[in-house]
Amino acid sequence: MDIIEVLKRAEMGPLVLAEEYMMKLYRQAKELVKDYGIKFDLDHLVNCDDRIADNLFLAGKELFLRMGIHSATSRRVIQFTSQEIEECLKSAPSEVIVGAGKEVKIVRHRQVEDPAFPTIFSGPYNVNTSEDTLIPMNITFAREKLIDVLFLPGYLNTMDGILVRPGSGLSARTAMIYGRYSRDAVSRAGRPDMPIAGFAHMALNEMACENEEWGLRKTDPHLAIFPDELQVDDVSLNMLSYYTAIGCPIYAVFVPLIGGYAGGPEGTAVVAVAERMAASMIGGEILHMGPNHVTFKSQTNHHSLWMASITNQAIARNTHLIPTTSMTIAGRPGSVQYPLEFAALVTTAVVSGSNITGPRPAQPLGFNHNSGLMGRLFAEIGRAATKLTREQANVLVKSLHEIYKDKLDYAVAPKGKSFNELYDMQTLKPTPEHQSHYDDAKEKLISLGLPLEA
Amino acid sequence: MANEQEILRQMKVAIEGFDPDAAAAAAKEAVAAGIDPARAVEEGFSPAIRELGDKFDRMEVFLPELVMAAGAMKAGVNVFEEAMRKAGGSLANKGVVVLGTVEGDIHDIGKTIVGAMLSSAGYKVVDLGVEISVPRFLDAAEEARADIIAASALLSTTMLRQKDLVEFLTTRGKKEKYIVIVGGAPVTQEWADKIGADAYARDAQQAIKVLDGLMAAKRGTIH
Repeated sequence: MDIIEVLKRAEMGPLVLAEEYMMKLYRQAKELVKDYGIKFDLDHLVNCDDRIADNLFLAGKELFLRMGIHSATSRRVIQFTSQEIEECLKSAPSEVIVGAGKEVKIVRHRQVEDPAFPTIFSGPYNVNTSEDTLIPMNITFAREKLIDVLFLPGYLNTMDGILVRPGSGLSARTAMIYGRYSRDAVSRAGRPDMPIAGFAHMALNEMACENEEWGLRKTDPHLAIFPDELQVDDVSLNMLSYYTAIGCPIYAVFVPLIGGYAGGPEGTAVVAVAERMAASMIGGEILHMGPNHVTFKSQTNHHSLWMASITNQAIARNTHLIPTTSMTIAGRPGSVQYPLEFAALVTTAVVSGSNITGPRPAQPLGFNHNSGLMGRLFAEIGRAATKLTREQANVLVKSLHEIYKDKLDYAVAPKGKSFNELYDMQTLKPTPEHQSHYDDAKEKLISLGLPLEA
Repeated sequence: MANEQEILRQMKVAIEGFDPDAAAAAAKEAVAAGIDPARAVEEGFSPAIRELGDKFDRMEVFLPELVMAAGAMKAGVNVFEEAMRKAGGSLANKGVVVLGTVEGDIHDIGKTIVGAMLSSAGYKVVDLGVEISVPRFLDAAEEARADIIAASALLSTTMLRQKDLVEFLTTRGKKEKYIVIVGGAPVTQEWADKIGADAYARDAQQAIKVLDGLMAAKRGTIH
């Protein structure tokens, strides 16, 4: 839909308080779960039943029609007709071009069990990053050729030792440095035109880091992050307005929360499908879902795995939208648990028709808590998963889940180490210890049946 | 008039049924029957909320149920508070908590869960909502005669406001008056220590445990 129309409806739609909207969402999702027979299946964390995926799609579409999108700031509901939803689904892009020159990438709609490789969005994922480490950490991601798009180069929350307040003048300066350093990193890695999916956190700052020469470009996917559930706000609408005006690819993010206002995994799956449609309706092209969980606060638990699978299959089988799924991990970089966890969710998502975005620790500790070597393994697993059927993937994912399921609580999940401890900061090569995390994880994954190249 | 056990049972059922009218009606019966209000809350409402909290941890119920149950309990507790006010007293509680999500942040789920569980644990909770400015936290705490200010932030960008809050209280000479507890996804014990907060909690259960300890120490100093 035309963004102007969306913005108008955000100002003119019926007034509904957030709590009223959320309680109605919960009741409607619960009703649709029952009407469409959606049921969590612990034996099939990777769904193997097309009927359930198709029923979920219908439930999600019905929910979107009933609920519309709530604007948290104007407190109004943006409603759509059935015809508008159908037209949007028909006219949504099935591929989007990002990057430039030798680094043009085509992000595509994928099918269930699609043999085509997913697009790999990987990077520091905006962990708190110190100014002196942003470039080296991003170099280690950018030089991994299997990574298609550098994702969220790192959140600079201090500048010259001062904590940066969002919206302040200092935040605009920080955003400019974020843009400069990111482009510098990919250039130093030999990929000057590599697409960078950046998010400098505030609408004004998105403009501050834009520069075709030294910053983020019109060919880079730009993020708009929406509040849960099925909401927009002035910040995200401002971003959409700006992105539409400059013509950049729009990467739209919803993070449905299992156990929150959407209910359990079934209700959240219904809401997640509705959110993908909503994101597309308001201009999103690459549609990100993070299957988060209110108790685990990460995305590799049994509910999240199932939800990611069924939701992606619903979208893959019934639309030509372009989904991607995020990987927020309880274990932390600098441990073997970290890659085993993300392997489970990567496999689930890829075989279910999604592209993949990640990985990142759910609770990073300190600064610079990510690793390009893990980005490499993330990409390798994503490619290997395309060789699996859903049934094979299900066996693998259940085996992996069994290994780490009792170590998802932040207190017992491995703490790992920062980038500065995982890498030789002179050579930017992984330390022997960190290399062993990669090697050991890969060996384990191969032994469990993932067709990785040794 | 129903006997005491029956009234307490009705209070529990009202929470289990998420029924504010039934909770208020049962509370009125309790007042009429002369049941000590604090005991009525502790034995009538709180067990139901705690059971719901356990069910929430097991994913048998979800946030909306907690919200509805907390709403029902609030309706009932209001009746007791009114009765106590008329009698020239006030409803005993473990402490008064002013709770909100910081300015610039509209996330409310964690805050809502913590508020509901603190209520069940015997705290009087004043939930300010989301996007609460630093001065508003203090104003609300002064108005409510709070013991505790609880500030939640879900973003790395907005957690800075927690630091602002502590600094504001300090410059106003109010820091010693309130226990400041912080929480939210990006928040850690290290951050709480760094900014001078009194406590950090990663979830509702930890918040109850930490605040119970701090309030016991605080009230222990009052002679």
